Amino acid sequence: MDKKEQEAFAHKEELRQEFKKKTYIEDIERTIYDVKDADNSIYKTQEGLTEEVVRDISARKHDPQWMLDFRLKSLAIYNSMALPTWGPSLDDLDMDNIITYVQPNAKMTGNWKEVPEDIKNTFDRLGIPEAEQKESLAGVGAQYDSEVVYHSIQESLVKQGVVYTDMETAIRDYEDIVKEYFMTLVPPKDHKFAALHGAVWSGGSFVYVPAGVHVKIPLQSYFRLNAAGAGQFEHTLIIVEPGASLHFIEGCSAPKYNVTNLHAGCVELFVKEGARLRYSTIENWSRNMMNLNTKRALVEKDGIIEWVSGSFGSHVSCLYPCSILHGENAKCEFTGVTFAAKGQDLDTGASVIMTAPHTSANINTRTISKDGGKATYRSAVKVTRRAPDAKCSVNCESLMLDNKSRSDTLPVMDIEGDRADIGHEAKIGRISDEAIFYLTSRGIDEDEARAMIVRGFVEPIAKELPLEYAVEMNNLVNIELEGTMG
Amino acid sequence: MSEKLLEVTDLHAGVEGKEILKGLSLSVGKGEVHVILGPNGSGKSTLMNVIMGHPKYEVTSGSISFEGEDLLGLKTYERARKGLFLSFQNPEEIPGITVENMIRTSKQMITGERVKLIPFRKELKAMMAELQIKPEYAGRYLNVGFSGGEKKRNEILQLLMLNPKLALLDETDSGLDVDAVRVVSEGVAKFHNENNSCLIITHNTRILEDLNVDRVHVLMGGRIVEEGGPELVNEINENGFARILEAQAK
Amino acid sequence: MNNDLTVFSRIPMRTWRWLGVNEARVAGPIPEKQENESLLVEAGKTEEYILTRRAGAQQNVDIRIEDGAKLHLVNIQLVPTDETATSRVKVTVGKDAEFRYTVVEAGASQAMSELDVNLAGNDSKADIWGLYFSDGSRKVDLNYTIRQAGRRTDANMQVRGAMLDTSEKIFRGTLDFIEGAKGSVGRENEEVILLSPGVRNRSVPIMLSHEDDVDGHHAVSVGRMDEDKLFYLMSRGLDLPNAQRLIVEASFNPVLDRIPDEALKQEVDEYLQGRLANHE
Repeated sequence: MDKKEQEAFAHKEELRQEFKKKTYIEDIERTIYDVKDADNSIYKTQEGLTEEVVRDISARKHDPQWMLDFRLKSLAIYNSMALPTWGPSLDDLDMDNIITYVQPNAKMTGNWKEVPEDIKNTFDRLGIPEAEQKESLAGVGAQYDSEVVYHSIQESLVKQGVVYTDMETAIRDYEDIVKEYFMTLVPPKDHKFAALHGAVWSGGSFVYVPAGVHVKIPLQSYFRLNAAGAGQFEHTLIIVEPGASLHFIEGCSAPKYNVTNLHAGCVELFVKEGARLRYSTIENWSRNMMNLNTKRALVEKDGIIEWVSGSFGSHVSCLYPCSILHGENAKCEFTGVTFAAKGQDLDTGASVIMTAPHTSANINTRTISKDGGKATYRSAVKVTRRAPDAKCSVNCESLMLDNKSRSDTLPVMDIEGDRADIGHEAKIGRISDEAIFYLTSRGIDEDEARAMIVRGFVEPIAKELPLEYAVEMNNLVNIELEGTMG
Repeated sequence: MSEKLLEVTDLHAGVEGKEILKGLSLSVGKGEVHVILGPNGSGKSTLMNVIMGHPKYEVTSGSISFEGEDLLGLKTYERARKGLFLSFQNPEEIPGITVENMIRTSKQMITGERVKLIPFRKELKAMMAELQIKPEYAGRYLNVGFSGGEKKRNEILQLLMLNPKLALLDETDSGLDVDAVRVVSEGVAKFHNENNSCLIITHNTRILEDLNVDRVHVLMGGRIVEEGGPELVNEINENGFARILEAQAK
Repeated sequence: MNNDLTVFSRIPMRTWRWLGVNEARVAGPIPEKQENESLLVEAGKTEEYILTRRAGAQQNVDIRIEDGAKLHLVNIQLVPTDETATSRVKVTVGKDAEFRYTVVEAGASQAMSELDVNLAGNDSKADIWGLYFSDGSRKVDLNYTIRQAGRRTDANMQVRGAMLDTSEKIFRGTLDFIEGAKGSVGRENEEVILLSPGVRNRSVPIMLSHEDDVDGHHAVSVGRMDEDKLFYLMSRGLDLPNAQRLIVEASFNPVLDRIPDEALKQEVDEYLQGRLANHE
C-alpha cells in the first residue's frame, strides 16, 4: 500500500469504529452510576435492628399508631423467622451493620428547583427529570436514601382523580386506602425480608388510578441509595381501579461501596376488574448490593398485569415478581432479562398463581452469564382446582459467554385438575460459531458480531421497554460486553 | 483470459484432522461465471467455507489469493471487506437482529462509509420488491421462521445490496420451487456484470440459463478432475458423473 | 429408619418450600424387603437386563458400565396398589459407553424412584425412557438426574405419563452440565396427560450448567388431551373413552416398544389398559 492508500484505509477503519459506537446508540459510561455524593444526611439510625430503632423510625415519620403497631408486629415476626434455605448465599449480609434509615437533608417537594443541589445533580446525571421535561412521563418521583425528595404529576391527571405521591403523604392524606391495602398482598410473615420491610419501611410511591381512567404516558419512580452501609426499604402501592390503565416505571441505582448495602423493597399491585397495569423495572444497583425485593400483583376478573424486568446490577439478587390471577380471565405477561457478570449471583424469575377459570400467563425470560457470574432462573406456576382451563406458557433461554460462569434453571409447575394447558421450554447454550461466521462473512468483525447476537438475544425484552429504557438497557449490555469479547 | 480475481492453488484443507480438499486448484477471472459440479461429499461446500475463512476448517497447504493478495492470513470479515460474499446453503437464523439492521451494518462495515438511513431504506424496499420479498420482512429477525425459499431470497437480497466483487453461491437454488428458483436466478443475473464474478455450486441448470457460464469445474474427492465449457453442464445433467468416475477409476 | 415421612431423595438445588418438591418423602414405613443388584458391564460388552418388581420392596441397583460397553436396563414395576415400592438406581458410564434405560412405574400405593446417572467418560451416552401411570389415590414420586461430566456426552431423558382419579405425582428431572463437559448435548422432555379433575401433577425440569460449550434443552407439556386428536378419532367412530385410551396408548408406545420381552410387554400393556378401562 502506498501512503495515500494507507491513509484512506486508516480513515475507513476509524469510520468503522465510529459506526460500531453508533449502533450502540449513545454510549454512556458506567461511572455515572458510581459517582458518590458526600453523605449530607441529617439523621441516621444506629446500625442494626432493635425495637428502639423501629420506634425511632416510626416517631420520625410521624406514623399513626396503627402503623407503629404494624412495625412492631413485623419486627417480632422478623426475629422469629429463619433465613431462607434455598437460593443464593446471604452470608455477606450482616444485619447488625445495616443502617435501616437514612434521612437525606431535603424535604419532599413538588418543585425540582427546591431539591438540594447535590441530590439534584445526582438525578440530573442519571437523566431523571429530563424525561419529565420532554413530557414522555406523566409524573416523576425520586427517592434518595430513605426518603422521597421529589414528586410531581401532570395537572390533567390530578383533575381526573389520579393520585401519585410518596407513601408518607399517602398515609396522611389517604389513610383509609393505605390501611386497607398495605402489606395485605405481601404480609410480613411471608418471609424474613418481608417482615424486615414491614418493620423499617420508608419512602416509596403510592398510585391510585380511579375507575375508567387511562393514564396514557408512564409514571416513573427512581430510587437512589447514596449512603454507605445503608438499607433501602421503599414501599410501592399501586391500585388500578376497574377499567383503568397505567404504566409504571421504576429505576434503581447506587454508587459502589466496600460495605454491603441492602435493598428490601416491597411492591404491591392491585389490578381490579378489567384494569391493566404494566410495571417496568431497570435495576442497576451497584455490585455491593443485596437486592432482596418482593413484588406481587393481585389481578381480578379480565385484568391484565404486565411485568417487564431488567436485572443488571447488585451483588446478590432474589427477585421473582408474583402474579395472583384471582379473577376469571385474568392475564399475566412476564418479560425479563438478567445479566450476571463477575461477582454477581442473580437469582431471578417469576411466579404465577392461578386461582380462577380461564386465566392465562406467558413468561418469557433471557439470562446471560459471563466472567464468573451466576444466573439462576427460578419460577413457579401453580394452577389450583379453582382454575379450570388455565393456560400458561413459559419460555426461558440462557446464554453463557464463557465456562467460568454458571447458569441454572429451576422451574416448578404444580397443576391441579385436568383442564390446564401448560407448556414449558428452556434452552441453555452459548453463541454458536456458525452464527458468528455468518455475520463475519458479511464484513462485521467478531466483537461486533458477538455484541449484535447478545443484543439480539435480549431484543424481545428490550422492545417491551419505553425507548429511553431500551437505550439504557442496550448501554448496560454494551458496558458489560466491552473488552470481554473475543 | 481476463484479469485474475480468485486464484486457488494446490489447496489442502480439512476439518478436525480429516483432509477434505486434496490439492485443489482453480482460477476465476474478473467478470467470469464459474460453475462447480460434483457428487455429494466431494468437498464443494468445504471449498466455499475455506475461501470465506470458516474457522472450523484448517488449511494445511496451498494458497488462495484474491486480486493478487493472499487471503489465507485474513479473517472472515476482512475477506468480506475485500469483496467476497458467500450465499449460504443453510443460512443461519439469528433472533433479535432484523434483516434491515444487519444489511445496513454490513454495508457500513464493508464500505467504511456512512450509509444514510432514508436512501438505504428506499433501495432496500425496491430490491425486496424485485425479489418478491414482502416489505415487512425488513423488520423481521434474520431468517427466523423463514421458509427455505425465503432464506435463499434473503441471501440474494444481501448479495444485491452489498454488491461484492466475487459471489460464492453454495446451492442457492436447492430445495426451492420453480417460481423461487426463477426469482433467485434472475437476482443473480441482475447482480452479475463485467466487473464482478460468480462461483456457483448447483444441481440445477435453471440458474445458469440467465447467465453466460465461462467455465465448469468438476470436483471429486477433493480435487478438480475435469474442466470445460458450458457444454459440460449439459453432459453431466444428462448422464451424471458416470463417465468421469470411470475415467477416474482408470 | 422406618419413621413417618422419611426423606428418600432430594433435588440437587433447592427451591421454595411451599411447592413441596425439594425432597421426596415416603409416608409410612419403607418396605423391609430389599432387592439389591450390582451390575458391572465389562469394557466393550453389550448387555441387556430386565428387572421386574411385583411386590413392595426397596430396590437398590448399582451399575458400572466400562469403556465402550453398552447396557440396556429394563425396570418394570407392577407392585400391588396397597404396597410401597422404592427404587434407587445409580449408574456410572465410562468412555464411549452407553446406558439405555426403560422404566415403567405402573403400580404401588407409593412409587418412589431415584435415578442417578453419571456420564463420567468422554462420548458417553444415556438414553432414558420412563413411563408412569397413576390412579386411585396413588402417589408417584420420581427424581432423575443425569450428570454430564465427560466431553461430548449425550443425554436424553424422555418421560411419558398419565394420571387419573385423585392420584399425585412429582417428576423432577435434572440435567447437570459439569465444567469441562465440552460439546455435550442434553435433552429432557416430559409429557403428561391429565384425565381426572382430582389429580395433582408437579413437574420440575432442572438444568444446571457450569460449561458454556453445551446445548441443553428441556420441555414439559402438561394438559388434557389434544382436542383435535380426539375429534379426529371420534369422527372415525370411536367413543370418547376409546379415543382417550388410544391417545394414551400412543403416548406410552415409545416406552413400551423398548421392552424386549414380548410377554412382559404384553403384560404391562394389558395391565395399563385394564386400569384405564376401570376408570370409565
